[in-house]
Amino acid sequence: MRSTYRVLAFLVAACVAVQAAAIAMGFFGIIHEMEDGGAITSSYDWEGNLGVMIHRYNGSLIALLVIALLVVSFFTRAPGAVRWAAALFGLVLLQFALLFPAFAVGPTWGGLHGLNALLILGTALQAGRRITRVQSDERVLDTAPV
Amino acid sequence: MNGSWTRRRSDRAVVAALASAALLLPLGWFWGRSLVPDTYSVMGMGYVDHGGGSAARHEAHALGWDGPPAQPGNVPVTELAGPAEGRPDVEVTLVARQETVTLATGETVEGFTLNHASPGPAIRAEQGDLVQVTLINESVARGTTLHWHGVDVPNAEDGVAGITQDAVALGDSHLYRFVAEDAGTYWYHSHQVSHVQVRDGLFGALVVDPPSAPAEVDVVAAVHTYQGLRTVGGATGETRVDVEPGTPVRVRVVNTDDGPLDAQVVGAAFRVLAVDGRDVVGSADVSDRSVRVPAGGRADLGVVGPPAGSAVRVQLGDRAGPSLVLGRAGAGAPPAEELHPRLDLLSYGSPAPLGFDPETVDRRFEYSIGRRPGFVDGIPGLQWSINGQLFPDVPMFVVEEGDVVRMTLENHSGQLHPMHLHGHHAVVLSRNGVTASGSPWWVDSLDVESGESYEVAFVADNPGIWADHCHKLPHAAEGLIAHVAYAGVSTPFRIGGPAGNEPD
Repeated sequence: MRSTYRVLAFLVAACVAVQAAAIAMGFFGIIHEMEDGGAITSSYDWEGNLGVMIHRYNGSLIALLVIALLVVSFFTRAPGAVRWAAALFGLVLLQFALLFPAFAVGPTWGGLHGLNALLILGTALQAGRRITRVQSDERVLDTAPV
Repeated sequence: MNGSWTRRRSDRAVVAALASAALLLPLGWFWGRSLVPDTYSVMGMGYVDHGGGSAARHEAHALGWDGPPAQPGNVPVTELAGPAEGRPDVEVTLVARQETVTLATGETVEGFTLNHASPGPAIRAEQGDLVQVTLINESVARGTTLHWHGVDVPNAEDGVAGITQDAVALGDSHLYRFVAEDAGTYWYHSHQVSHVQVRDGLFGALVVDPPSAPAEVDVVAAVHTYQGLRTVGGATGETRVDVEPGTPVRVRVVNTDDGPLDAQVVGAAFRVLAVDGRDVVGSADVSDRSVRVPAGGRADLGVVGPPAGSAVRVQLGDRAGPSLVLGRAGAGAPPAEELHPRLDLLSYGSPAPLGFDPETVDRRFEYSIGRRPGFVDGIPGLQWSINGQLFPDVPMFVVEEGDVVRMTLENHSGQLHPMHLHGHHAVVLSRNGVTASGSPWWVDSLDVESGESYEVAFVADNPGIWADHCHKLPHAAEGLIAHVAYAGVSTPFRIGGPAGNEPD
């Protein structure tokens, strides 16, 4: 369970990196389309923007991974495993919740969505690292002379 | 000691299992509930809303995805057709193809054409004409249809795949026949995978002239964005229209895009002669105002040909949008301007009788649009909700012929929704509690901005099963769609199925 926990936590971190890369790619894609004479209107074909599409689907993947991590954490016997997974789960919920005002109220909320991504990244890395530390501590205990 | 350790361990496993179940079961339940079968009847979707009529609200769903079983005396939509007999006054054949579209100004984009053009041929009829259109699908892989947007045609001619017909498969054809009863500006477009097919060119304009058409220059201005190229009549940039000084001009603005269009006239006063194919009563000259045309909506603008040597610009969208330049050849037009303040149609023109009493109400419906996280057909996301529930748990608004129906359209979703009711025109009674004070404002396509609430009314005078959806077409594909159904009408068509019907 600890290995699964670790893999899931680091996968979440990796996916957050992909999210950042994808949305930057999507934005530059829009700039290129504009420079090529295109008009960005409500009829914009989002499905034709690879970066934005990756961001959309990878976002759902992160949600699934974090749910899986939380479930795995319940079965993981390591101090703080549930706490860190739950924190990550909460931050990802917040990340989706921030979309609403970002679309409805104003782009500043979108900025918070970006900042919260850093918290998710940090929390995922920390969760993965902690479990790695618990694992190696135990390995030390196992091999220690009686 | 060993025993208590084992017990603690098994207790822990039980707690972990319970916690997992508490997390996964509701998620799984919501996910499972959201799944939509490969094929179903729209009559089996969501719940029935009688609008305060006879029966209480119940799950149509409870009757299964086929909907209520057909009762003796039910009328299938196929019987609610235009005249089968009679020589058509206007006869058009439209061949739909998936191919490279060459715009009027020479640019090329991949998309769809009708008779090798996009927009397709503008169809013109006179009020009372029997219109016959043969649609041939030569190469649209997923099938196609034609919906007569804004024309209150008999239900079988409405062109909605999976509700009023099957999508016309490759190599097949379909005949549409209807009487053009109301003069005005309309358009036609595919209602099969419409969020892709309309965007990529499968549409055209339809104009119904009154029997004694006034002496004026008549210009159809169908505005469309093709993969980032903003056009009017399929042409980017400026399109010149030769107009004699003093000649009245009617510019029929048709918004075929997914977003709102702000139109304005630079260099002259103008008036709004009609909205969504219905004349504005007592339209007065305005200047330094823009007119907002919702996605799918139309507005006829009246302009007078400018004095010799000058020209007028009909600007369609912001400064980067396309425009029409009206005047004699060579006359310079004023440059495009920032958008002027919007003309409010709620108080434009003069009041006039509606032809029915909106206070004698038979049904009252609420169509409240929100947004929340959830699953639609198993896909998680931030979804559109109708009256708090997600697709396919959408209302089926049930009416009977002759009912006076009032509907409150409310939007608290954070984004604009251009709402389009098929087969009917509704009149705007109020917006955010402010009563309409201008000309009767009849619409088939109405922008409802976030935070707004509109009260509209219509007479249920066109039996059938009618889509009532957001005309930002990707939103409809995402589930922002409900239907108005007349009691006793059934449909033999199904969403999905062998025809692959996918209306939105």
